[in-house]
Amino acid sequence: MSRSVPSSDEHAQPGVARAWPGALDGEAFEALFRECGADVHAYAISLLGERTAAEDVTALAFERLYRSRARLDHRRGTPRAWLFAIARNAALDELRRRRRQPRYELEDELAADRDCAEALEHVERRTAVHDALAALPPREREVVLLKFHGQLSNSELARALGISESNAGTRLHRALTRLREGCLQAERQEEIA
Amino acid sequence: MKVIPFPGGGSAGPDEAWLAELEAALNGDGEGAIADSWRELRQDVRALVPPIAPEFERELGERIAERGARAASKQPDRRLGWLRPPGRLGAAASVAAIGAVVAAVVIAGPWRAGTAGPIEAPSNQPAVSSNAGRAESSTAGRAESAHPLPQASNEAFRAAKSATAEGSASASAGAASNAPALAPAAGGAGLAPGRVQQLAASITLAATPGDVQETADRVSRLAVSDGGFVQSSHVQVQQSGTSEASLDLSLPSAKLSAALASLGQLAPVRAESQSLQDITNTYDAARQRLGDATAERQALLHALSRATTEGQIDSLHERISQNRGAIAQAQAALQTVSRHASTAQVEVTVLGDAHTGSEGLTLHRGLHDAGRVLVVTLVVLLIAAALLLPLALLAVALATARRTWRRYQRERVLDTR
Repeated sequence: MSRSVPSSDEHAQPGVARAWPGALDGEAFEALFRECGADVHAYAISLLGERTAAEDVTALAFERLYRSRARLDHRRGTPRAWLFAIARNAALDELRRRRRQPRYELEDELAADRDCAEALEHVERRTAVHDALAALPPREREVVLLKFHGQLSNSELARALGISESNAGTRLHRALTRLREGCLQAERQEEIA
Repeated sequence: MKVIPFPGGGSAGPDEAWLAELEAALNGDGEGAIADSWRELRQDVRALVPPIAPEFERELGERIAERGARAASKQPDRRLGWLRPPGRLGAAASVAAIGAVVAAVVIAGPWRAGTAGPIEAPSNQPAVSSNAGRAESSTAGRAESAHPLPQASNEAFRAAKSATAEGSASASAGAASNAPALAPAAGGAGLAPGRVQQLAASITLAATPGDVQETADRVSRLAVSDGGFVQSSHVQVQQSGTSEASLDLSLPSAKLSAALASLGQLAPVRAESQSLQDITNTYDAARQRLGDATAERQALLHALSRATTEGQIDSLHERISQNRGAIAQAQAALQTVSRHASTAQVEVTVLGDAHTGSEGLTLHRGLHDAGRVLVVTLVVLLIAAALLLPLALLAVALATARRTWRRYQRERVLDTR
């Protein structure tokens, strides 16, 4: 893929998103945006399928987090977890308002843009991943997106989804298993073709 | 196409090791093909979405930086945080709290029938009456009368009392010497110079039940020290209920004001009344009878000195003897009237019940009143809490239901396919 991934994949680096900054003041909030802005946008766009709506949700998530920064409790998760929980709610509200269901169909423009930039091998693999992801039930796909875009731990994932940690682990396991099966199926179809 | 070697597939559910392995791989801690496959999968998923638009990212970043700078410039003073206007929830809670307190005060207020307030207003029922021919008033400065008489009446009473005191003094002196000297001094400073007047007063003192006997004793000692005496007394002390003492005092009229002031210092005054009766006519009539009898005696004695016959002498002796009795009667009548003028009858009532002890400014009463204030405040708060608690529970239930409903609506988006 010629274009860099929107955010760093490196979890190990501690930042304001992972380490509780104490007070989420102006500088800490800017740092949080630099660390997580692209990830939130990626999560929103993968859930909503539209850039404009994803931008609205991203802006709304940061807006809400800023307004509620005084109520943030470090015992209940990192700023990143809070941010993705807010973004999830905002995205689901947006879907409900538009009476739409979550889908995993990126706009043609985006897909073309993506295709042109990637090597053939990557394109094939990622197409398989894309199709497998699109075939997942929305609830399971959402877990995968939160896990990979939000880079949340299982406990943070549980908090964002409002379920228990064991339930979140079960749901994640099931989603990844189905994703794997979907990828294998896509591979077989390609071989047959 | 590269086959992605997903680990852990096929099992019914995740075990701790599977989850730990996944976490370690995504955190960059895990090594090997499996960890690499997890990281590749994440990279593939993340690469599926287009990057954030630089214009939007820049614009949003600028907005956040601007907001942060604005917030930093007007950093609120934590000490004055409570001065900030409350939000909708705070405003609603404040309105509910104020309403509950007002309702509680209305419910538990001291003006409600049958409810005693923290400091009861003295239930004064002053025995001020206005009889024909009697000039009565309450003493100025004792604001115990529910129907205070006009100021002119007070002044008239004081002036008359002054004149009475002077007249009584001279009358007493005159009575001691002889009848003609009993005439009251004229030209007093009052509105009724030369008048002879009789004073009376009644005073009701409030005391705690345990203090009734002691207060009655102190009233008696006060009467004696002022030159008076106790004509009658009745003290009734009960273990429970109202204790009461009533004393009839006879005090020198000249010391009535001072005596009443001293009585008022023994215990809080619940009620006070004073009355004045003009007895000048009675006094004049008695003096006239004494003068007539004395003049008749002089005439009889003069006639006796001129009597020549035995019969005249015997007759005059008999008449002089009768005249002596008349003079004695006239002197006694004049002394009685004079005594009425020189002494004032004072009825003292000492009431002792739980409520009467709350008046006055002693430490004990202050503590008692403070306790009652605290009790009523507690009652008000309790009633307010009783009103607020259901409202708070209702608000919490509504908020929970609203949150649950919104969450249900959100989650439903994920359930419908």
